[in-house]
Amino acid sequence: MAVALSGCGAVAQLYYAPALQALEKAGWLEVRALYDPAPAMRRALKQSFPSALEADRFSRLSEDMDLVILASPPALHAEQSVELLRAGISVLCEKPLATSVAEARTMIEAAAASSGVLAAGMLRRFFPATQMIREMLAAKAIGDITSFDVREGGVFRWPVVSAAYFDKSSSGGGVLMDIGAHALDLMIWWLGAPVDTFYEDDAMGGIEVNCRLRCGFASGFSGQVRLSRDCPLGSRYTLRGTRGWLSWQGETNRLEASFGESRYTLNAAVEHAARPAAHFERSFIDQICNVIAAMRRAEPLRVPAAEVLPSLRLIEHCYARREAMPMPWLGEAEALRAAELNERSPRRAG
Amino acid sequence: MSPRVAIVGANGFIGSRAVEMLHLGGNAEVRPVVRTVQGQATLSRFDLDCRIADACDETSLSAAFKACDTVVHAVAGAPATILKSITPAYRAAERAGIRRLVYLSTAAVHGQAPPPGTDENARLSDRQPVAYNNAKVRAERRLKSLRSRGSVETVILRPGIVTGPRSAWISQFAADLLAGTACWLDGGKGICNSIYVDNLVYAIQLALTAAAADGQAFIVADEETVTWADLYRPVAAALGFDVADIAAASATVGSRKWKDVLDFLHGHPVIRPLRLRLPRRLRSTLSAALSPLPPPVPSPWTYRAAGGPDCVTHEVTPEMAMLYSCTVKLSDAKARRVLGYKPTVSFEEGCRRTLGWLAFAGFPVAPDYLNQAASALNGCSAR
Repeated sequence: MAVALSGCGAVAQLYYAPALQALEKAGWLEVRALYDPAPAMRRALKQSFPSALEADRFSRLSEDMDLVILASPPALHAEQSVELLRAGISVLCEKPLATSVAEARTMIEAAAASSGVLAAGMLRRFFPATQMIREMLAAKAIGDITSFDVREGGVFRWPVVSAAYFDKSSSGGGVLMDIGAHALDLMIWWLGAPVDTFYEDDAMGGIEVNCRLRCGFASGFSGQVRLSRDCPLGSRYTLRGTRGWLSWQGETNRLEASFGESRYTLNAAVEHAARPAAHFERSFIDQICNVIAAMRRAEPLRVPAAEVLPSLRLIEHCYARREAMPMPWLGEAEALRAAELNERSPRRAG
Repeated sequence: MSPRVAIVGANGFIGSRAVEMLHLGGNAEVRPVVRTVQGQATLSRFDLDCRIADACDETSLSAAFKACDTVVHAVAGAPATILKSITPAYRAAERAGIRRLVYLSTAAVHGQAPPPGTDENARLSDRQPVAYNNAKVRAERRLKSLRSRGSVETVILRPGIVTGPRSAWISQFAADLLAGTACWLDGGKGICNSIYVDNLVYAIQLALTAAAADGQAFIVADEETVTWADLYRPVAAALGFDVADIAAASATVGSRKWKDVLDFLHGHPVIRPLRLRLPRRLRSTLSAALSPLPPPVPSPWTYRAAGGPDCVTHEVTPEMAMLYSCTVKLSDAKARRVLGYKPTVSFEEGCRRTLGWLAFAGFPVAPDYLNQAASALNGCSAR
């Protein structure tokens, strides 16, 4: 299995490289090429894969490759995926899948016409904890859902190397497009798509650093998603039901739960009955293994690209109907100006 | 055309509010300068020409300052960084043709608990028991020296406890309250020389242009005289706590590092003159041994509570202990006279906005927090 990596930035260096090294060692694949327009970034990753070709043009990845992992800026995902899929090469595309629904549809159409597969890199769906929440909700372990609360945020520490990360034309958006791609995907995966939404953010000519999405669902419950690259929100997904509650501290493998009127809280790690102990890095390996197995038609693709269309649609909907988030520390004149600038902030990528 | 101002340290607490206020106020064209790409995260809300430059690197700063009229130096960091960032910033400002540089120092150059009558004319010591104070004193001296030989005008601002949205004084206290580790000395009766961040940014704006301010330092403060209890009472009330329940830390002093002690003795107003009476050779030996000392490591002094709920140990640092024992409200008379400074946000309004931010930032603020805060403010000794 010949694999290439497109985009040698933070996620590639921190997570994909160790996962690919582990799989190379296990004989699952061979990393044959690394592409990034910045030579320094390619060189940094080359240390992990000495025999891989340092490709200076993206088109070189089409040469004798089975799978390309796309970890390039989101605005390039559609164009690069389509080019690879047309050449019959499978793609595992980092989140967000695309910066618009239209782009995502183009990618999905290209995948349908290709011998390769298109997998959406929704890593969190590979966490045992998130899978167990889905199973518990399906089994109505906490009864009917009455509310939910998602909060995720803190001082931004992701080791980005390019200012393009904060440029809407390259990233597709701010915290909603970034962390929201995960959070909204999980929400919809667990609860279905909302029927009613209200979205506000703090973009003032740039991208949003804080946002809040309030959602109402067909069965009558509602909840909110609050995301930030600034405020110490922590990371907590809480679901309340008629017979108890569930709470997951994001990016861990622990679940907290309580049932009925119990005075006790369950706080436990989630483990797969037949697999090694789960950890964050292990999920990257599981994700790549699933894509390879799907390419070999040994198992279904866990997150086909079409599965993330609803969350992408919701993100697009939010940007199109954004309201200015109240910032209670602003003076009166400042607040007016902030609202004006929010109104002028780009409503879609590019 | 609006004047163009570069703000170094633009992603910090004060820097980010300065960017926000100046940009939304339309008073200046703002150019944020940050050390790393990550530092642009919160600033990316705006469509601004953000630059990356290390505050200690003259070349990158010079490029970042190009075509700006003025510079605000709001760099936070360890004592070594505080001092190391002065010369590169000044030299870069000269190279870029900057007219004036406003440096954010601190009222702590006068100590955490200054004696009555302290004003900008008070003699500054760089041998205080707090390394941060010493670094700021040395930074001010270096800047003054650079100004005496250089072309860029300088204005130094000395704010006290800067409060407001994103202030660690507020968020850390709130976090400590929620964690059950909040404590203070003497019921928070000490004077808190507070300045709401918007008042400080207003002072910065004045300092950028005030005609007679060049080469001078200014203490800036809120209008009101407030205690630590006044500052923290509304925060506690909004989070459902009563300041009366805050644990008292007792003043049991632990051991100190020898270097801290030497540093303190070196600059002590009584001991220093005595050293001058020693034979020259012994004096120079002592000087070699004592100066320049490396910046003191954070002191292990701790004030341990006599006993708190659930046996939680409540500790305050020596710096906090001195702050809680402050009895003096520093005067901003000079800033009023020369800069035309007058606080624009009252203490009460500042509290209201700060609580609004706490709610925004996800702290579990009671839904009717404004009412609760209003009640808490009624008990405030602000005057």
